[in-house]
Amino acid sequence: MKKITVEVCACTQCVLNGAMHIIESIESLKKLKVQLRMNAQIAIVPTPSLVEGKHSDISPVVRINGEIIEKASSETVMAKIISQGQRAN
Amino acid sequence: MKGIYTPVTKIRRQVFQEIARLAFEGGDYSRMEELPYKIIPGEVASYRDSVFKERAIVGERLRLACGLDVRPADKHAPVSEGIEAAAIDRLVYEPPLINVIPFACEACPPKQYYVTDNCRGCLAHPCTSVCPVQATSMVDGHSQIDKDKCLKCGRCAEVCPYSAIVKYERPCASSCGVDAIESDYLGRAKINHDKCVACGQCLVHCPFAAIADKSQILQLCHALREKENIIAEIAPSFVGQFGPLATPERVRKALLDLGFADVYEVAVGADLGAVSEAHHYVNGLGEKQPFLATSCCPSWSVMAKTLFPTIAHCVSTELTPMVATARIIKKEHPDARVVFIGPCTSKKLEALRRTVRSDVDFVITYEELMGMFAAKEIEFGAYEDGQMRDEATASGRGYGVAGGVASAIEACVKELYPGHEVKIDRAEGLADCRKMLTLAKAGKRNGYILEGMACPGGCIGGAGTLEPLKKAATAVTKFARDSRQPLATESGYIGELKKEH
Repeated sequence: MKKITVEVCACTQCVLNGAMHIIESIESLKKLKVQLRMNAQIAIVPTPSLVEGKHSDISPVVRINGEIIEKASSETVMAKIISQGQRAN
Repeated sequence: MKGIYTPVTKIRRQVFQEIARLAFEGGDYSRMEELPYKIIPGEVASYRDSVFKERAIVGERLRLACGLDVRPADKHAPVSEGIEAAAIDRLVYEPPLINVIPFACEACPPKQYYVTDNCRGCLAHPCTSVCPVQATSMVDGHSQIDKDKCLKCGRCAEVCPYSAIVKYERPCASSCGVDAIESDYLGRAKINHDKCVACGQCLVHCPFAAIADKSQILQLCHALREKENIIAEIAPSFVGQFGPLATPERVRKALLDLGFADVYEVAVGADLGAVSEAHHYVNGLGEKQPFLATSCCPSWSVMAKTLFPTIAHCVSTELTPMVATARIIKKEHPDARVVFIGPCTSKKLEALRRTVRSDVDFVITYEELMGMFAAKEIEFGAYEDGQMRDEATASGRGYGVAGGVASAIEACVKELYPGHEVKIDRAEGLADCRKMLTLAKAGKRNGYILEGMACPGGCIGGAGTLEPLKKAATAVTKFARDSRQPLATESGYIGELKKEH
């Protein structure tokens, strides 16, 4: 089973800009694995800061298996995870 | 939409952060004129038909965040009009607290039922059989509702086998448990402030960001910048609100870095309230007062007293946790000013009551506080973890979740009066609270503790929270469980109670 590690920046700016909702959305995917035909294990890792220094212009930031997503939203993050999870089949 | 991050949430939080930054930086406040352009950049509208309208609405939200009034749409005035007078280190407040920004309101039609394309024109068409006024009929093989006749009872929707009949309601009105949302001459939402109890649910549920409450962040940031002796009292529902890194102890450290001189848990005051109400429940109920209604949620208690005046005396007269804690702080630090940090818009009004005004100097919500943390670039991840000062009990810390208040009183009764039977009923959301009080008024809740919470889920569902209910409930419950003292009767402040009563 493929493992997808999703690191979510949990700095103050990213939390203010919706990081917690992104985490919720990722968790919700775990319940839809059958419908989505995903054969992957999703690990969510809240991280103090994914990017060096101030990053209010690109917040919230998420890293999925090493790939940084700037100005992340629940939609973009879920789409990325689903595409990686389905590729794993 | 609570717990979902939407463009409405984004704008609201940007406004808090920008106003906090403005106040922390100080200087010329006419810079406020630039903020709508910073929050809504570019030339193309993102959310509405015009970028100018988007900026005008943000301008009004900025004003409300400064404690200023919404400007009339038919008179010229700069966004920053009145800002110099408001940029002080004392509370600035002119009613009303909750405001509709009229030109942001989309004038959603009021409650109605209509038939969707799901209608199959079925042979049974029970929708027509159940309508008491023949408003529903079959026209060209489909169900049709005559709006002039319709009573909006919803019977047709209940019986439709295809869920083809839906109820349409204004989100602000459907979330209001006291029917305070009316319409102005253009059909836009208008708040009846005689009915409004400031629970803030309308501002959370308006999908067009047309409703906002006045904030005190500008004045509080000013006072913090002046390094005044300001002490924070933080409500029990704070745990888990500021992200996964913000442990209770880190929140305390972050508040100290923000400029607060000390931090108290409001759970301390909740402990005292639980013990007092336990005594009152056992010794105070009788023919004159048949039940005890809790008083810590101001929207619930104001609603109870306003809509049910004949049973108003059954609402507890004990100090609310916010006030009890504030009095302890002011006793221990007579020169300090107290800021209540909580989930709630209506606490802003409670703090303005004549009897409370001298106890609580400012009230801000968690969401407003998070804007302040972001403006000051305070990072929870930068702090070492540690143990929160163990000053409150599990009972007091449990007040933030629905059911917690009654459970705390019940635990005290069992401890102080073993064998005494405790009967509890509780409701969340003002509409259900009204139903509960109707039963109580009819004498069907005699001998009960009635716990009323204006917000679904209790304080964790307040208008000024950041976290979804389930996660917040888990975090608050765990924090309470970790307390060294489980019962309110074991509070280290119990001596205060004896003096108070």
